Amino acid sequence: MIELYIVLTTGAVLFSIGLYGALSQTNLVMIMMGVELMLGAAMLNLVAFWRYLHPETYSLQMFVLVGMTVMALEAAVGFAIGTQRFRTKGSVEMEEASDMKE
Amino acid sequence: MVTTKIIFLTVFGLAAIWFGWRVFRTSSMVRSALSLLTCLTILGLIFFVMQAEFLAVLQVMMMATEMSIMAIFMMMFMMDPGGMSGMDMTHQKNLSITLGTIAGILVIFAIGFADWGEIVVAVSDAEQQNRDLGMEVMKRSMMIFETAGTSILVAMIVAAATALPFKNKKK
Repeated sequence: MIELYIVLTTGAVLFSIGLYGALSQTNLVMIMMGVELMLGAAMLNLVAFWRYLHPETYSLQMFVLVGMTVMALEAAVGFAIGTQRFRTKGSVEMEEASDMKE
Repeated sequence: MVTTKIIFLTVFGLAAIWFGWRVFRTSSMVRSALSLLTCLTILGLIFFVMQAEFLAVLQVMMMATEMSIMAIFMMMFMMDPGGMSGMDMTHQKNLSITLGTIAGILVIFAIGFADWGEIVVAVSDAEQQNRDLGMEVMKRSMMIFETAGTSILVAMIVAAATALPFKNKKK
């Protein structure tokens, strides 16, 4: 039981660090890093649930594969938005991006 | 054997938290990307300790590639990628710390008070796991897997279309 607690607590701390990063950073790439950290924590939890609670249920491993896909997609689309933003405005600072609302 | 696993999980867990924290504590963006790479690679090592070998290898390979690309984008986009001028690139710090702490505490409470039931000690070997995961992908979860594949294709097209320069057709 203690192994499950260690892994889940690690995931919880990583999630809260990621949340702090995603909310506190002004740069698009740093915000994406916070989101990546939160997704990493979620995947850690999923693997722990598979290993210690339901090792016969492979849909949990499947869910981890989907999580990895989401991470890759988030990075691809995020970098594309960053590239376009940098091309047009010369910066990826999100405090300067209020014009995107208009 | 169980004690060894506990030691490994604790050491790797603390290391992952340390490198995760370093991502937002250094003023050098390249160091941030490398810290995140190390943190997510350590998560792969934790997968290894939990005997999910296939996912562990996949995690290390994917994160090594993704974070290297992220470091390159950092160099491209940042005014000060080396962090030499010590620019502060944060906002709403107190709100972020409060929300992060509250979320962490709530999740840890949920972990402590939840009824997790019986813990399974033994797990099948790597070969059997890969076979079972393959069967899962080709049977029950095939639709999900296909959707993930299509999503990647769509994201590739969207990313290329978004990143290309706009052409002003007005003369």
